[in-house]
Amino acid sequence: MKIPKSFVALVLACAALTPAVAQDKVVVQYDCIPNYANWGGVTSQYLKETGVRVPPDMKGSSATMAALEQEKANPQADCAYYSAAIGFQAATKGLHAPYKPKGWETIPAELRDPDGLWWTVHSAHIAIIVNVPALKGKPVPKSFADLLKPEYKGLIAYDDPTIHGTSFTFVYGINQVLGGGPDMGKGFDYLKALDANILNYPRENSYNDVLRGEIPIWINADGNGLKMKWTDKAPVEVIIPSEGTVVAPLVMAFVKGAPHADEAKKYLDWCLGESAQKTMAESFFRPIMNVNLGELGPKFPPASAYRKAVAPPLNEMAAQADAVKARWVKEVKGNR
Amino acid sequence: MNLPASIEVAALPVERAREATPRRARISTSKRLLIALLAVILFVVISPVVVVMLGSFLNTSFLGLSSEQWVGDGSDANSLITFQWFSYVLKLYQPQLLFSFQLAVLSVVVCILIGVPAGYLIARGDFPGRRWLEELLLLPLALPGIAISIALIQAYAIIRGRWYFVLFGHLIYTLPFMARCVAGTLRSFDCAELERAAQSLGAGPWQRFFFVVLPSLRHAITLGALLVFAVSFGEFNVSFLLMTPLTATFPSALYATYTFNSFQVSSAATVVFLAVILPVLALIQWLGGDELSKVEQGA
Amino acid sequence: MLKRFAAISSGPLLLGVLVVLLVWPLICLVHGSLHEGNGGGGWTLDHYTSIFTTRSSRVALFHSIWISLGVAAAAVLICLGPAWLFVRHDFPGKRLARAVLTLPMSFSGILIGFLCVIMLGRIGVVPRLMEWLTGTDYFSGAAYQLGGILIAYFYFEIPRATLSLESALRKLDPRLELAACSLGAGAWQRFTLVVLPQLWPALLATFALTFCVSLGSFGVVLIVAKRFSLLPLEVFEQIFAFNRYPLAAAMSVVLLVIALCASLTARWASNHLTHVR
Repeated sequence: MKIPKSFVALVLACAALTPAVAQDKVVVQYDCIPNYANWGGVTSQYLKETGVRVPPDMKGSSATMAALEQEKANPQADCAYYSAAIGFQAATKGLHAPYKPKGWETIPAELRDPDGLWWTVHSAHIAIIVNVPALKGKPVPKSFADLLKPEYKGLIAYDDPTIHGTSFTFVYGINQVLGGGPDMGKGFDYLKALDANILNYPRENSYNDVLRGEIPIWINADGNGLKMKWTDKAPVEVIIPSEGTVVAPLVMAFVKGAPHADEAKKYLDWCLGESAQKTMAESFFRPIMNVNLGELGPKFPPASAYRKAVAPPLNEMAAQADAVKARWVKEVKGNR
Repeated sequence: MNLPASIEVAALPVERAREATPRRARISTSKRLLIALLAVILFVVISPVVVVMLGSFLNTSFLGLSSEQWVGDGSDANSLITFQWFSYVLKLYQPQLLFSFQLAVLSVVVCILIGVPAGYLIARGDFPGRRWLEELLLLPLALPGIAISIALIQAYAIIRGRWYFVLFGHLIYTLPFMARCVAGTLRSFDCAELERAAQSLGAGPWQRFFFVVLPSLRHAITLGALLVFAVSFGEFNVSFLLMTPLTATFPSALYATYTFNSFQVSSAATVVFLAVILPVLALIQWLGGDELSKVEQGA
Repeated sequence: MLKRFAAISSGPLLLGVLVVLLVWPLICLVHGSLHEGNGGGGWTLDHYTSIFTTRSSRVALFHSIWISLGVAAAAVLICLGPAWLFVRHDFPGKRLARAVLTLPMSFSGILIGFLCVIMLGRIGVVPRLMEWLTGTDYFSGAAYQLGGILIAYFYFEIPRATLSLESALRKLDPRLELAACSLGAGAWQRFTLVVLPQLWPALLATFALTFCVSLGSFGVVLIVAKRFSLLPLEVFEQIFAFNRYPLAAAMSVVLLVIALCASLTARWASNHLTHVR
């Protein structure tokens, strides 16, 4: 009789263990990387305040858009977080449903969709993030032009712009920073020249690699570098290039057919509220709402550092996104 | 099967008749070389694991492995040892850890329910197409996981996001292990003889299966269950493509820490993973021993 | 009678499970790879031709194949040593050594990729140690070069190759070697003339197994490959970044076909060799 008994035990174990995970109150946010823009902190704050869990998700902006497209018939996500241009593009593909969260009116008009298909939650600027000891005595680059110097060969990386929105913002905006025209020629010339010094175009985010010094120079959002510097206490310098920089707004959107729609709306409201905005600021992404940053304030670079920042119009960026990505693959990555 | 344990011993009388000493010396040289090779491989396997274990609680910036400093509560800013990364990982990724554990246990249960009869069938079954069924069952071991997951996504998009979708993916890769364990044992002794004996004593088919066949398979099933658990718990390729944030597994949490957290957090997450998997592997070795190689051999 | 009973009741059941889990999805995969759009459109072979006409995917396919071949060859050659030791010799700590060697079996590719970066990254343990010992950080960043990828894949294959070879060695008949020994054959002669001919099928099978596993693994490259792209990574990118399902499906079918060919060839060759013998 021993064996049948253990079978019964197994079946019972099976029943007892049937994953209960789905039964909690949850909101699914695509592109909710715990260490990016402090989403880990934001979501655990939300769990503490409301008991609703927002699980981490490792997709980048473009991967988020691709996943929403794949799941159109059977949506899995409630809301999404993107670099603005990709969010704009996803909205034009009809992947979002309109929603105007509390406080939506106070967002500057150019940083939100008039119908509420997307809105900015915080913004960053493209910066050169340098792990100083990893340079082993080489001077810290101060401008985009410095990055072309042969001494930085194999020391520079920026994430694959076909996957990561922040990097796409850089690839798109560098043309305007360098004073290029609508044909993007100047920007691509620069990217092609920079390619000689590039270590790689990581598909995964490189925060860890830069922190450790695996990647000495990383072109990414300034907030990530400031977080390394202030929170992780790494010997990192965040350089706003002397030629100027690109504004990188980050947006959220409400997904069409969201499976947990009501919870998601509450969460999106909360994300524009004071406690969420402050928590986001802890990773040095500039909150869109006017909140008192307290002692965090002085740790942000002064406004004067961003004097020469350019902000390419989001509609143009979104319209050209696919073409620019394809061109980048063909002209920059394809030649490696 | 119980042949002389070691060929040197068996060969010794012959050798002694010839030039005993030099020959023996030569054999031990080759043995010494092989042991040196083994030592190198063992070192390659074990050293990174040791580094990761140290990195999970030691301040690695002292070792020069990482440039970030302690980012604790400030109190232990300069201490050498801390366990705070474990609590960070466990707090942030507890649901994933639990889900992976559940998934592994469920894989074991389903594999026992389906894989054991399947193993019996391919070992002792007598029907047309038995060979083909066996080939089909063992086929996934040779197939790339990414291809299988894309196929599953295409075929069953409608259940995407359900926990059992990920379980499906795990079963494809775990069933062959269980079936092979069972089939291997059944082939290694005369099961038919036992069954005939039971039949002559008046046992019906179910009685024979439960009281004759299954007890003699207890060892194989235990070993299979442990293997299934280990494979399922460590699986990344398939689950990474099949999962949604609500059905994320612990290896995907490992991936998250590798790309987006510091060396210490990544190491702590890895050690949490090892803490689950190492006892299982140890048990497999302890129980399985030589049989393991039969199970692992390619289809 | 039990056999009949079991066959009648559970044979179709098992077949049903396998069809649901494996056969039907594979049919869908092939079907998807032959159509124009995501889940629709007319029949086309364009996705297959574009794999070979697009430089990046062609290079990735090429890398995938020869890196897997190289790793499989290395794994078979190197792991024969430990396998031989485990079967034919006794030494203190044998069980422990064997346990450690099978450790990577349940490590997923990403874990091995991470270990590889820790050891051989730009500031990995090995270059730090080298810098401390010699003043120059040799092997710095090796993890991202070809060597690092090969080592990471090899790490992945150690337990698989060793266990597979061990099983084959265990089946060898030592009496043949005894006979050869009594005829005056030396150790090396015994190995090349008696053991190796018996072992060929197992070597081929192990080679095919490790080749297939390397070919399909993408966790390792996801972490390690900085300069190389391998085909599984391309599949991942096509589906995750671009949502080009049919192309991803076509690449997967190519991977599947290569893996199947490899294991079938190995099977055919080993049967052939066994018959000749």
